[in-house]
Amino acid sequence: MIKNLWFLRGLRKGIRTEKFPEENPVEIALWSTELIGEGNVECPVDAIVDGQWNFEKCIFCRKCTPSFAPKGNINIFRVRNNEPAFRKSFHLFPFDSGACGACNAELHNIASPQYDMTRFGIFFTNTPRHADAIVIMGVWTQGMKKALDLALDAMPGPKLVIALGSCASTGGIMGKGALENEKYDVIIGGCPPNPYTILSALEKARGD
Amino acid sequence: MRWYRHDEPHGRFIGSTGGMDIYAETYKESSRREIESTYTKTDQEFIFSYGPASGMLESSEIDLYTPGEIINHVDVGTDVRKRVIRIAQSDPLDALLKIERINGFHGASHAICFISAIEDAMDINPDGMMQYNRIVQLECERIRGNLLVIERMAQAAGFGVPVNQLAFLREKASRIIGRRGGHRYFFGVNSINSSCFNTDVIGKQMGAITEEFQDIFKGLLESKLFINRLQDNGVNNDKVSTGPAARASGLLHDARIDSRTLPYEDTEYSIVANTEKDAYGRFLVRAEEIQVSASIIKQLEKRCTNLRKSEYSLKDGEGMARVESPSGDLFYSVKILNGKIESLGYIPPSIRNIQSFRESMKGNIFTDFHFNWESYGIWTAEAGVVIQ
Repeated sequence: MIKNLWFLRGLRKGIRTEKFPEENPVEIALWSTELIGEGNVECPVDAIVDGQWNFEKCIFCRKCTPSFAPKGNINIFRVRNNEPAFRKSFHLFPFDSGACGACNAELHNIASPQYDMTRFGIFFTNTPRHADAIVIMGVWTQGMKKALDLALDAMPGPKLVIALGSCASTGGIMGKGALENEKYDVIIGGCPPNPYTILSALEKARGD
Repeated sequence: MRWYRHDEPHGRFIGSTGGMDIYAETYKESSRREIESTYTKTDQEFIFSYGPASGMLESSEIDLYTPGEIINHVDVGTDVRKRVIRIAQSDPLDALLKIERINGFHGASHAICFISAIEDAMDINPDGMMQYNRIVQLECERIRGNLLVIERMAQAAGFGVPVNQLAFLREKASRIIGRRGGHRYFFGVNSINSSCFNTDVIGKQMGAITEEFQDIFKGLLESKLFINRLQDNGVNNDKVSTGPAARASGLLHDARIDSRTLPYEDTEYSIVANTEKDAYGRFLVRAEEIQVSASIIKQLEKRCTNLRKSEYSLKDGEGMARVESPSGDLFYSVKILNGKIESLGYIPPSIRNIQSFRESMKGNIFTDFHFNWESYGIWTAEAGVVIQ
Protein backbone atom coordinates (compact mmCIF):
# COMPACT_ATOMS: atom_id res chain seq x y z
CA MET A 1 0.00 0.00 0.00
CA ILE A 2 1.31 3.45 -0.84
CA LYS A 3 1.25 5.21 2.49
CA ASN A 4 2.78 8.52 1.70
CA LEU A 5 1.90 9.97 -1.67
CA TRP A 6 2.44 13.72 -1.48
CA PHE A 7 0.51 14.26 -4.69
CA LEU A 8 -2.66 12.90 -3.05
CA ARG A 9 -1.96 14.84 0.12
CA GLY A 10 -1.80 17.97 -2.02
CA LEU A 11 -5.05 17.18 -3.84
CA ARG A 12 -6.82 16.57 -0.56
CA LYS A 13 -6.26 20.19 0.47
CA GLY A 14 -7.96 21.52 -2.66
CA ILE A 15 -7.30 24.94 -4.21
CA ARG A 16 -6.04 27.40 -1.63
CA THR A 17 -5.09 30.24 -3.93
CA GLU A 18 -7.02 33.48 -3.53
CA LYS A 19 -8.77 35.36 -6.33
CA PHE A 20 -6.60 38.45 -6.06
CA PRO A 21 -6.40 40.69 -8.10
CA GLU A 22 -9.92 40.00 -9.46
CA GLU A 23 -11.11 40.23 -5.87
CA ASN A 24 -9.88 42.41 -3.02
CA PRO A 25 -7.05 41.23 -0.75
CA VAL A 26 -8.32 38.76 1.83
CA GLU A 27 -6.26 40.15 4.67
CA ILE A 28 -3.62 42.83 4.96
CA ALA A 29 -1.64 44.18 7.86
CA LEU A 30 -2.58 47.85 7.89
CA TRP A 31 0.91 49.18 8.58
CA SER A 32 2.05 48.29 5.11
CA THR A 33 -0.54 50.37 3.29
CA GLU A 34 -0.97 54.00 2.28
CA LEU A 35 -0.89 56.55 5.09
CA ILE A 36 -3.39 59.34 4.96
CA GLY A 37 -3.49 62.39 7.18
CA GLU A 38 -2.53 65.98 7.53
CA GLY A 39 -0.36 68.30 9.52
CA ASN A 40 3.29 68.43 10.35
CA VAL A 41 4.70 65.53 12.28
CA GLU A 42 8.15 64.52 13.39
CA CYS A 43 9.19 61.72 11.07
CA PRO A 44 12.53 59.96 11.69
CA VAL A 45 13.07 59.36 7.96
CA ASP A 46 11.48 62.56 6.57
CA ALA A 47 8.74 60.56 4.90
CA ILE A 48 6.26 63.28 5.85
CA VAL A 49 7.27 66.80 4.91
CA ASP A 50 4.78 69.68 4.81
CA GLY A 51 1.95 67.22 5.32
CA GLN A 52 2.91 65.19 2.24
CA TRP A 53 3.56 61.47 2.66
CA ASN A 54 6.35 59.81 0.62
CA PHE A 55 5.91 56.04 0.43
CA GLU A 56 9.47 55.49 -0.79
CA LYS A 57 10.90 56.71 2.50
CA CYS A 58 8.27 55.52 4.96
CA ILE A 59 9.23 52.75 7.41
CA PHE A 60 5.72 52.62 8.93
CA CYS A 61 7.05 53.22 12.45
CA ARG A 62 3.78 54.82 13.67
CA LYS A 63 5.48 57.91 15.08
CA CYS A 64 3.13 60.03 12.98
CA THR A 65 -0.02 58.73 14.64
CA PRO A 66 -2.68 60.00 15.19
CA SER A 67 -2.11 62.71 12.54
CA PHE A 68 -1.56 60.02 9.91
CA ALA A 69 -3.07 56.55 9.73
CA PRO A 70 -3.08 53.63 7.28
CA LYS A 71 -6.25 53.22 5.26
CA GLY A 72 -5.68 49.87 3.53
CA ASN A 73 -4.68 50.98 0.02
CA ILE A 74 -2.03 48.49 -1.11
CA ASN A 75 -1.05 50.36 -4.27
CA ILE A 76 2.07 52.02 -2.92
CA PHE A 77 4.53 51.57 -5.76
CA ARG A 78 5.88 53.55 -8.69
CA VAL A 79 6.52 52.13 -12.17
CA ARG A 80 8.86 54.41 -14.14
CA ASN A 81 9.45 51.97 -16.98
CA ASN A 82 7.50 48.84 -17.82
CA GLU A 83 8.35 46.01 -20.17
CA PRO A 84 5.49 44.27 -22.02
CA ALA A 85 7.89 41.58 -23.31
CA PHE A 86 7.59 39.94 -19.88
CA ARG A 87 3.79 39.55 -20.02
CA LYS A 88 3.84 35.76 -20.43
CA SER A 89 6.93 34.93 -18.44
CA PHE A 90 8.68 37.09 -15.88
CA HIS A 91 11.80 35.74 -14.16
CA LEU A 92 12.98 37.52 -11.02
CA PHE A 93 16.46 37.42 -9.53
CA PRO A 94 16.24 38.30 -5.79
CA PHE A 95 19.24 40.28 -4.61
CA ASP A 96 19.88 40.93 -0.92
CA SER A 97 22.18 43.91 -0.73
CA GLY A 98 21.88 44.34 3.05
CA ALA A 99 18.34 43.52 4.13
CA CYS A 100 17.01 42.61 7.57
CA GLY A 101 15.28 39.51 6.26
CA ALA A 102 11.70 40.84 6.30
CA CYS A 103 11.73 41.93 2.63
CA ASN A 104 13.36 38.59 1.76
CA ALA A 105 10.54 36.74 3.53
CA GLU A 106 7.78 38.81 1.92
CA LEU A 107 9.20 38.33 -1.57
CA HIS A 108 9.46 34.61 -0.82
CA ASN A 109 5.80 34.70 0.28
CA ILE A 110 4.42 35.56 -3.16
CA ALA A 111 5.21 31.94 -4.03
CA SER A 112 2.99 30.65 -1.21
CA PRO A 113 -0.35 29.06 -2.21
CA GLN A 114 -2.41 32.08 -1.06
CA TYR A 115 -0.75 34.26 -3.74
CA ASP A 116 0.78 31.70 -6.15
CA MET A 117 2.89 33.95 -8.38
CA THR A 118 3.21 31.21 -11.00
CA ARG A 119 -0.41 31.73 -12.11
CA PHE A 120 0.77 35.13 -13.37
CA GLY A 121 3.79 33.58 -15.09
CA ILE A 122 6.16 34.97 -12.45
CA PHE A 123 9.11 32.83 -11.36
CA PHE A 124 12.31 33.11 -9.33
CA THR A 125 15.67 32.35 -10.86
CA ASN A 126 18.98 31.81 -9.09
CA THR A 127 21.08 33.45 -11.74
CA PRO A 128 21.04 36.93 -13.27
CA ARG A 129 21.75 35.34 -16.68
CA HIS A 130 18.18 34.01 -16.74
CA ALA A 131 16.58 37.05 -15.14
CA ASP A 132 14.17 39.57 -16.62
CA ALA A 133 14.26 41.68 -13.49
CA ILE A 134 16.49 42.05 -10.46
CA VAL A 135 14.63 42.65 -7.20
CA ILE A 136 16.95 44.51 -4.85
CA MET A 137 16.35 44.37 -1.09
CA GLY A 138 18.19 46.15 1.69
CA VAL A 139 20.57 49.04 2.04
CA TRP A 140 23.82 49.67 0.21
CA THR A 141 26.72 47.68 1.63
CA GLN A 142 30.33 47.85 0.53
CA GLY A 143 30.71 44.08 0.29
CA MET A 144 27.72 43.56 -1.99
CA LYS A 145 28.56 46.39 -4.39
CA LYS A 146 30.69 44.24 -6.68
CA ALA A 147 28.13 41.41 -6.72
CA LEU A 148 25.37 43.91 -7.56
CA ASP A 149 27.37 45.47 -10.41
CA LEU A 150 28.20 42.02 -11.78
CA ALA A 151 24.57 40.91 -11.56
CA LEU A 152 23.33 44.02 -13.37
CA ASP A 153 25.94 43.48 -16.11
CA ALA A 154 25.14 39.79 -16.43
CA MET A 155 21.43 40.33 -17.05
CA PRO A 156 20.34 40.20 -20.69
CA GLY A 157 18.19 43.02 -22.05
CA PRO A 158 15.45 44.04 -21.88
CA LYS A 159 15.61 44.12 -18.10
CA LEU A 160 14.01 45.85 -15.15
CA VAL A 161 15.59 46.99 -11.91
CA ILE A 162 13.19 46.84 -8.98
CA ALA A 163 13.61 48.27 -5.46
CA LEU A 164 11.73 46.28 -2.84
CA GLY A 165 11.12 48.25 0.33
CA SER A 166 12.30 51.52 1.77
CA CYS A 167 15.89 50.35 2.49
CA ALA A 168 16.59 49.55 -1.15
CA SER A 169 14.95 52.69 -2.53
CA THR A 170 16.01 55.38 -0.06
CA GLY A 171 17.93 53.66 2.74
CA GLY A 172 14.98 53.84 5.14
CA ILE A 173 16.34 54.21 8.65
CA MET A 174 19.24 51.79 8.21
CA GLY A 175 21.56 53.49 5.73
CA LYS A 176 21.46 54.57 2.12
CA GLY A 177 19.66 53.04 -0.84
CA ALA A 178 21.27 50.07 -2.58
CA LEU A 179 21.32 52.06 -5.86
CA GLU A 180 20.72 55.70 -6.73
CA ASN A 181 16.95 56.11 -6.69
CA GLU A 182 16.74 57.16 -10.37
CA LYS A 183 18.31 53.85 -11.47
CA TYR A 184 15.22 51.91 -10.46
CA ASP A 185 12.51 51.17 -13.01
CA VAL A 186 10.09 50.12 -10.29
CA ILE A 187 9.96 51.14 -6.62
CA ILE A 188 7.80 49.16 -4.21
CA GLY A 189 7.01 50.84 -0.90
CA GLY A 190 6.83 49.17 2.49
CA CYS A 191 8.95 48.09 5.39
CA PRO A 192 8.59 45.39 4.27
CA PRO A 193 6.09 45.63 1.38
CA ASN A 194 3.18 43.24 1.77
CA PRO A 195 2.82 40.42 -0.79
CA TYR A 196 -0.29 41.94 -2.39
CA THR A 197 1.62 45.16 -3.08
CA ILE A 198 4.54 43.20 -4.54
CA LEU A 199 2.27 41.24 -6.89
CA SER A 200 0.41 44.36 -8.00
CA ALA A 201 3.67 46.16 -8.72
CA LEU A 202 5.07 43.22 -10.68
CA GLU A 203 1.91 43.08 -12.78
CA LYS A 204 2.20 46.78 -13.60
CA ALA A 205 5.93 46.41 -14.28
CA ARG A 206 5.13 44.35 -17.34
CA GLY A 207 2.48 46.72 -18.55
CA ASP A 208 -0.63 44.83 -17.39
CA MET B 1 20.51 45.29 37.15
CA ARG B 2 17.84 42.81 38.13
CA TRP B 3 18.86 39.77 36.17
CA TYR B 4 22.64 39.89 35.84
CA ARG B 5 25.52 40.48 38.25
CA HIS B 6 29.17 41.25 37.76
CA ASP B 7 30.85 38.11 39.07
CA GLU B 8 32.87 35.06 38.22
CA PRO B 9 31.30 32.80 35.56
CA HIS B 10 28.02 31.28 36.73
CA GLY B 11 25.90 29.10 34.50
CA ARG B 12 26.62 28.31 30.89
CA PHE B 13 28.56 30.56 28.56
CA ILE B 14 26.25 32.58 26.32
CA GLY B 15 28.72 34.55 24.24
CA SER B 16 30.90 37.59 24.14
CA THR B 17 29.84 41.12 23.30
CA GLY B 18 33.42 42.02 22.50
CA GLY B 19 34.02 43.74 25.82
CA MET B 20 32.20 41.33 28.11
CA ASP B 21 31.74 37.59 28.46
CA ILE B 22 28.15 36.75 29.26
CA TYR B 23 27.09 33.69 31.23
CA ALA B 24 23.62 32.55 32.24
CA GLU B 25 23.56 34.76 35.34
CA THR B 26 26.81 36.71 35.42
CA TYR B 27 29.10 38.82 33.27
CA LYS B 28 32.72 39.77 33.45
CA GLU B 29 35.25 41.63 31.37
CA SER B 30 36.28 39.60 28.37
CA SER B 31 39.80 38.48 27.63
CA ARG B 32 38.72 36.42 24.64
CA ARG B 33 40.06 37.06 21.22
CA GLU B 34 38.41 36.16 17.96
CA ILE B 35 39.91 32.90 16.74
CA GLU B 36 40.59 33.40 13.08
CA SER B 37 40.47 30.48 10.70
CA THR B 38 43.95 28.99 10.35
CA TYR B 39 43.00 26.41 7.77
CA THR B 40 45.27 26.24 4.74
CA LYS B 41 44.06 24.77 1.48
CA THR B 42 45.93 21.61 0.52
CA ASP B 43 47.15 20.84 -3.01
CA GLN B 44 44.40 18.24 -3.42
CA GLU B 45 41.63 20.68 -2.60
CA PHE B 46 39.86 23.42 -4.46
CA ILE B 47 37.54 26.03 -3.03
CA PHE B 48 33.93 25.93 -4.14
CA SER B 49 32.52 29.38 -3.49
CA TYR B 50 28.79 29.71 -2.95
CA GLY B 51 27.20 33.16 -2.94
CA PRO B 52 27.04 35.92 -1.96
CA ALA B 53 24.02 36.31 -4.26
CA SER B 54 22.56 32.84 -4.65
CA GLY B 55 19.38 30.85 -4.29
CA MET B 56 19.51 31.21 -0.53
CA LEU B 57 17.06 33.41 1.33
CA GLU B 58 19.79 35.90 2.27
CA SER B 59 23.20 36.85 0.95
CA SER B 60 26.10 35.00 2.47
CA GLU B 61 29.50 33.99 1.22
CA ILE B 62 30.31 30.35 1.78
CA ASP B 63 33.61 28.72 0.78
CA LEU B 64 33.70 24.93 0.76
CA TYR B 65 37.19 23.36 0.74
CA THR B 66 36.98 20.03 -1.01
CA PRO B 67 39.08 17.57 -3.00
CA GLY B 68 35.97 16.74 -5.03
CA GLU B 69 33.20 15.44 -2.85
CA ILE B 70 33.95 15.38 0.85
CA ILE B 71 34.00 18.78 2.57
CA ASN B 72 37.16 19.28 4.64
CA HIS B 73 36.59 22.85 5.76
CA VAL B 74 33.96 25.61 5.48
CA ASP B 75 34.25 29.37 5.77
CA VAL B 76 31.09 31.45 6.17
CA GLY B 77 31.52 35.14 5.47
CA THR B 78 28.92 37.50 6.86
CA ASP B 79 31.06 40.62 6.41
CA VAL B 80 30.13 40.70 2.74
CA ARG B 81 26.76 42.25 3.62
CA LYS B 82 27.91 43.99 6.77
CA ARG B 83 25.59 46.75 7.92
CA VAL B 84 26.89 49.45 10.23
CA ILE B 85 24.12 50.53 12.61
CA ARG B 86 24.61 53.71 14.60
CA ILE B 87 22.91 53.55 17.98
CA ALA B 88 25.20 55.49 20.34
CA GLN B 89 23.77 58.79 21.60
CA SER B 90 20.32 57.85 20.28
CA ASP B 91 17.11 58.13 22.20
CA PRO B 92 16.11 54.54 23.21
CA LEU B 93 12.89 54.67 21.20
CA ASP B 94 14.69 55.93 18.09
CA ALA B 95 17.24 53.14 18.54
CA LEU B 96 14.39 50.62 18.76
CA LEU B 97 13.46 51.36 15.12
CA LYS B 98 16.90 50.11 14.07
CA ILE B 99 17.01 47.21 16.53
CA GLU B 100 13.73 45.83 15.12
CA ARG B 101 15.40 45.78 11.71
CA ILE B 102 18.59 43.94 12.68
CA ASN B 103 16.76 40.70 11.96
CA GLY B 104 13.30 41.53 10.69
CA PHE B 105 12.15 37.92 10.63
CA HIS B 106 12.84 37.76 14.37
CA GLY B 107 11.72 41.33 14.98
CA ALA B 108 9.78 40.50 18.15
CA SER B 109 12.75 38.76 19.77
CA HIS B 110 15.09 41.65 19.07
CA ALA B 111 12.61 44.35 20.10
CA ILE B 112 11.52 42.60 23.30
CA CYS B 113 15.07 41.76 24.36
CA PHE B 114 16.30 45.29 23.72
CA ILE B 115 13.30 46.88 25.46
CA SER B 116 13.75 44.54 28.44
CA ALA B 117 17.38 45.68 28.75
CA ILE B 118 16.24 49.33 28.59
CA GLU B 119 13.60 48.69 31.25
CA ASP B 120 16.22 46.99 33.40
CA ALA B 121 18.46 50.04 33.06
CA MET B 122 15.62 52.44 33.89
CA ASP B 123 14.23 50.36 36.78
CA ILE B 124 10.93 49.89 35.02
CA ASN B 125 9.01 46.79 36.08
CA PRO B 126 6.42 45.79 33.50
CA ASP B 127 3.51 43.96 35.08
CA GLY B 128 2.70 40.30 34.50
CA MET B 129 0.23 41.02 31.71
CA MET B 130 2.84 42.89 29.71
CA GLN B 131 5.37 40.12 30.21
CA TYR B 132 2.87 37.42 29.22
CA ASN B 133 1.96 39.44 26.14
CA ARG B 134 5.62 39.46 25.17
CA ILE B 135 5.91 35.71 25.68
CA VAL B 136 2.91 35.17 23.40
CA GLN B 137 4.59 37.27 20.71
CA LEU B 138 7.85 35.34 21.02
CA GLU B 139 6.09 32.01 20.79
CA CYS B 140 4.12 33.14 17.71
CA GLU B 141 7.42 34.15 16.18
CA ARG B 142 8.92 30.77 17.11
CA ILE B 143 6.07 28.88 15.42
CA ARG B 144 6.51 30.89 12.22
CA GLY B 145 10.30 30.64 12.37
CA ASN B 146 10.26 26.87 12.83
CA LEU B 147 7.78 26.49 9.97
CA LEU B 148 10.20 28.38 7.73
CA VAL B 149 13.19 26.24 8.74
CA ILE B 150 11.29 23.00 8.06
CA GLU B 151 9.95 24.43 4.79
CA ARG B 152 13.49 25.27 3.66
CA MET B 153 14.69 21.77 4.59
CA ALA B 154 11.87 20.23 2.54
CA GLN B 155 12.74 22.59 -0.30
CA ALA B 156 16.31 21.29 -0.31
CA ALA B 157 14.81 17.85 -0.93
CA GLY B 158 12.67 19.21 -3.77
CA PHE B 159 9.45 18.26 -1.98
CA GLY B 160 7.02 20.64 -3.66
CA VAL B 161 3.82 19.64 -1.84
CA PRO B 162 5.07 19.93 1.76
CA VAL B 163 6.98 23.10 0.84
CA ASN B 164 3.77 24.72 -0.35
CA GLN B 165 1.72 23.40 2.53
CA LEU B 166 4.25 24.77 5.01
CA ALA B 167 4.40 28.09 3.15
CA PHE B 168 0.62 28.25 3.40
CA LEU B 169 0.76 27.79 7.18
CA ARG B 170 3.58 30.30 7.54
CA GLU B 171 1.60 32.89 5.62
CA LYS B 172 -1.41 32.12 7.82
CA ALA B 173 0.75 32.74 10.90
CA SER B 174 1.99 36.03 9.42
CA ARG B 175 -1.60 37.14 8.88
CA ILE B 176 -2.57 36.31 12.44
CA ILE B 177 0.39 38.33 13.69
CA GLY B 178 -0.38 41.20 11.30
CA ARG B 179 -4.02 41.30 12.34
CA ARG B 180 -3.12 41.59 16.02
CA GLY B 181 -0.33 44.10 15.91
CA GLY B 182 -0.83 45.85 12.57
CA HIS B 183 2.49 44.57 11.28
CA ARG B 184 3.49 41.09 10.11
CA TYR B 185 6.98 41.33 11.60
CA PHE B 186 6.10 43.07 14.88
CA PHE B 187 7.64 46.41 13.82
CA GLY B 188 6.14 49.19 15.90
CA VAL B 189 4.25 46.74 18.11
CA ASN B 190 6.45 46.97 21.21
CA SER B 191 7.73 49.91 23.16
CA ILE B 192 8.98 50.65 26.65
CA ASN B 193 6.47 49.14 29.07
CA SER B 194 3.98 48.93 26.24
CA SER B 195 2.61 46.62 23.56
CA CYS B 196 -0.30 46.87 21.13
CA PHE B 197 -0.40 43.14 20.37
CA ASN B 198 -3.93 41.83 20.84
CA THR B 199 -3.89 38.25 22.10
CA ASP B 200 -7.65 37.64 22.17
CA VAL B 201 -8.39 34.05 20.98
CA ILE B 202 -4.95 33.80 19.43
CA GLY B 203 -4.47 30.39 21.05
CA LYS B 204 -7.24 28.87 18.93
CA GLN B 205 -5.86 30.36 15.72
CA MET B 206 -2.25 29.34 16.28
CA GLY B 207 -3.53 25.98 17.52
CA ALA B 208 -5.27 25.40 14.17
CA ILE B 209 -1.95 26.00 12.42
CA THR B 210 -0.11 23.54 14.61
CA GLU B 211 -2.85 20.96 14.11
CA GLU B 212 -2.53 21.18 10.35
CA PHE B 213 1.24 21.11 10.69
CA GLN B 214 1.02 17.74 12.46
CA ASP B 215 -0.26 16.11 9.28
CA ILE B 216 2.65 17.49 7.25
CA PHE B 217 5.12 16.50 9.97
CA LYS B 218 3.74 12.97 9.96
CA GLY B 219 4.10 12.79 6.19
CA LEU B 220 7.70 13.99 6.33
CA LEU B 221 8.50 11.45 9.06
CA GLU B 222 7.16 8.69 6.82
CA SER B 223 9.35 9.78 3.93
CA LYS B 224 12.54 7.72 3.93
CA LEU B 225 13.92 9.88 1.12
CA PHE B 226 13.67 12.97 3.31
CA ILE B 227 14.85 11.39 6.54
CA ASN B 228 17.87 9.78 4.85
CA ARG B 229 19.07 13.18 3.74
CA LEU B 230 18.99 14.45 7.31
CA GLN B 231 20.30 11.54 9.35
CA ASP B 232 24.03 11.68 10.12
CA ASN B 233 24.15 14.98 8.24
CA GLY B 234 25.86 17.77 10.18
CA VAL B 235 26.49 16.11 13.52
CA ASN B 236 26.79 18.93 16.05
CA ASN B 237 29.20 18.37 18.95
CA ASP B 238 29.59 22.03 19.86
CA LYS B 239 29.19 22.15 23.66
CA VAL B 240 28.32 25.86 23.69
CA SER B 241 25.86 25.76 20.83
CA THR B 242 22.53 27.48 21.21
CA GLY B 243 18.85 27.14 20.40
CA PRO B 244 17.31 24.14 18.67
CA ALA B 245 20.78 23.07 17.45
CA ALA B 246 21.91 22.68 21.07
CA ARG B 247 18.73 20.96 22.18
CA ALA B 248 18.99 18.51 19.29
CA SER B 249 22.41 17.59 20.68
CA GLY B 250 21.05 16.84 24.12
CA LEU B 251 22.03 20.18 25.67
CA LEU B 252 19.25 21.92 27.61
CA HIS B 253 20.37 25.35 26.47
CA ASP B 254 17.30 27.53 26.42
CA ALA B 255 16.83 31.08 27.70
CA ARG B 256 13.28 30.14 28.62
CA ILE B 257 14.67 28.07 31.50
CA ASP B 258 17.79 29.95 32.55
CA SER B 259 17.00 33.60 31.83
CA ARG B 260 14.80 35.53 34.23
CA THR B 261 13.97 38.28 31.73
CA LEU B 262 10.52 36.81 31.02
CA PRO B 263 8.37 34.77 33.47
CA TYR B 264 8.21 31.48 31.58
CA GLU B 265 8.09 29.72 34.95
CA ASP B 266 4.43 30.81 35.21
CA THR B 267 3.53 28.42 32.41
CA GLU B 268 3.63 24.66 32.12
CA TYR B 269 5.78 23.46 29.29
CA SER B 270 8.64 21.10 28.64
CA ILE B 271 11.82 21.79 26.73
CA VAL B 272 12.12 19.60 23.67
CA ALA B 273 15.50 17.90 23.37
CA ASN B 274 16.97 14.76 21.87
CA THR B 275 20.36 13.26 21.28
CA GLU B 276 20.35 12.75 17.53
CA LYS B 277 22.78 15.69 17.10
CA ASP B 278 22.27 15.79 13.31
CA ALA B 279 19.99 17.69 10.92
CA TYR B 280 17.29 15.11 11.62
CA GLY B 281 17.49 15.91 15.33
CA ARG B 282 17.19 19.62 14.60
CA PHE B 283 14.18 18.93 12.39
CA LEU B 284 12.51 16.94 15.18
CA VAL B 285 13.19 19.60 17.81
CA ARG B 286 11.85 22.39 15.59
CA ALA B 287 8.72 20.40 14.77
CA GLU B 288 7.96 19.45 18.36
CA GLU B 289 8.65 22.97 19.60
CA ILE B 290 5.79 24.20 17.45
CA GLN B 291 3.44 22.21 19.69
CA VAL B 292 5.08 23.51 22.85
CA SER B 293 4.81 27.12 21.66
CA ALA B 294 1.13 26.67 20.81
CA SER B 295 0.53 25.30 24.30
CA ILE B 296 2.29 28.29 25.94
CA ILE B 297 0.23 30.71 23.84
CA LYS B 298 -2.99 28.97 24.84
CA GLN B 299 -2.10 29.17 28.53
CA LEU B 300 -1.30 32.88 28.41
CA GLU B 301 -3.75 34.36 25.88
CA LYS B 302 -6.35 35.25 28.50
CA ARG B 303 -3.81 36.52 30.99
CA CYS B 304 -2.65 39.46 28.92
CA THR B 305 -5.68 41.00 27.29
CA ASN B 306 -6.06 44.23 29.28
CA LEU B 307 -2.73 45.95 28.90
CA ARG B 308 -2.34 49.16 30.84
CA LYS B 309 -1.17 52.36 29.22
CA SER B 310 2.57 52.85 29.38
CA GLU B 311 3.85 55.10 32.11
CA TYR B 312 7.51 55.52 32.94
CA SER B 313 10.10 58.13 33.67
CA LEU B 314 13.53 58.42 32.08
CA LYS B 315 16.41 57.30 34.25
CA ASP B 316 20.08 56.57 33.67
CA GLY B 317 21.51 53.13 34.36
CA GLU B 318 22.75 49.87 32.97
CA GLY B 319 20.63 46.90 31.98
CA MET B 320 20.91 43.46 30.46
CA ALA B 321 18.35 41.02 29.07
CA ARG B 322 18.29 37.68 27.31
CA VAL B 323 15.45 35.93 25.48
CA GLU B 324 15.17 32.71 23.50
CA SER B 325 14.74 33.73 19.87
CA PRO B 326 13.72 31.01 17.39
CA SER B 327 17.43 30.48 16.67
CA GLY B 328 18.66 30.54 20.28
CA ASP B 329 20.02 32.92 22.92
CA LEU B 330 19.69 36.58 22.08
CA PHE B 331 21.30 39.05 24.47
CA TYR B 332 21.35 42.85 24.76
CA SER B 333 23.08 45.11 27.25
CA VAL B 334 22.61 48.88 27.36
CA LYS B 335 24.05 51.79 29.27
CA ILE B 336 21.88 54.90 29.40
CA LEU B 337 23.31 58.29 30.24
CA ASN B 338 21.35 61.56 30.16
CA GLY B 339 18.45 59.74 28.53
CA LYS B 340 20.57 58.57 25.58
CA ILE B 341 22.17 55.25 24.83
CA GLU B 342 25.81 55.51 25.84
CA SER B 343 26.80 51.99 24.79
CA LEU B 344 25.17 48.78 23.61
CA GLY B 345 26.30 45.15 23.72
CA TYR B 346 24.74 42.46 21.56
CA ILE B 347 25.01 38.70 21.11
CA PRO B 348 22.89 37.17 18.33
CA PRO B 349 22.39 33.39 18.14
CA SER B 350 23.39 33.18 14.48
CA ILE B 351 27.07 33.86 15.21
CA ARG B 352 27.26 30.77 17.43
CA ASN B 353 25.10 28.77 15.01
CA ILE B 354 27.49 29.60 12.17
CA GLN B 355 30.37 28.22 14.26
CA SER B 356 28.42 25.05 15.01
CA PHE B 357 27.45 24.69 11.35
CA ARG B 358 31.05 25.06 10.15
CA GLU B 359 32.29 22.34 12.49
CA SER B 360 29.37 20.03 11.72
CA MET B 361 29.93 20.30 7.97
CA LYS B 362 33.39 18.73 8.07
CA GLY B 363 33.38 15.24 6.62
CA ASN B 364 30.03 15.69 4.90
CA ILE B 365 29.56 15.81 1.15
CA PHE B 366 28.44 18.74 -0.97
CA THR B 367 24.86 17.55 -1.43
CA ASP B 368 24.45 17.55 2.37
CA PHE B 369 25.19 21.24 2.49
CA HIS B 370 21.72 22.74 1.94
CA PHE B 371 19.97 20.44 4.38
CA ASN B 372 22.54 21.11 7.05
CA TRP B 373 22.64 24.89 6.52
CA GLU B 374 18.87 25.25 6.62
CA SER B 375 18.57 23.04 9.71
CA TYR B 376 20.41 25.65 11.80
CA GLY B 377 17.99 28.48 10.92
CA ILE B 378 20.87 30.92 10.55
CA TRP B 379 20.14 34.57 9.71
CA THR B 380 23.20 36.32 8.33
CA ALA B 381 21.35 39.63 8.76
CA GLU B 382 21.84 39.47 12.52
CA ALA B 383 25.36 38.02 12.32
CA GLY B 384 26.61 40.61 9.84
CA VAL B 385 25.94 43.84 11.73
CA VAL B 386 28.28 46.23 13.46
CA ILE B 387 26.59 48.32 16.14
CA GLN B 388 28.24 51.63 16.90
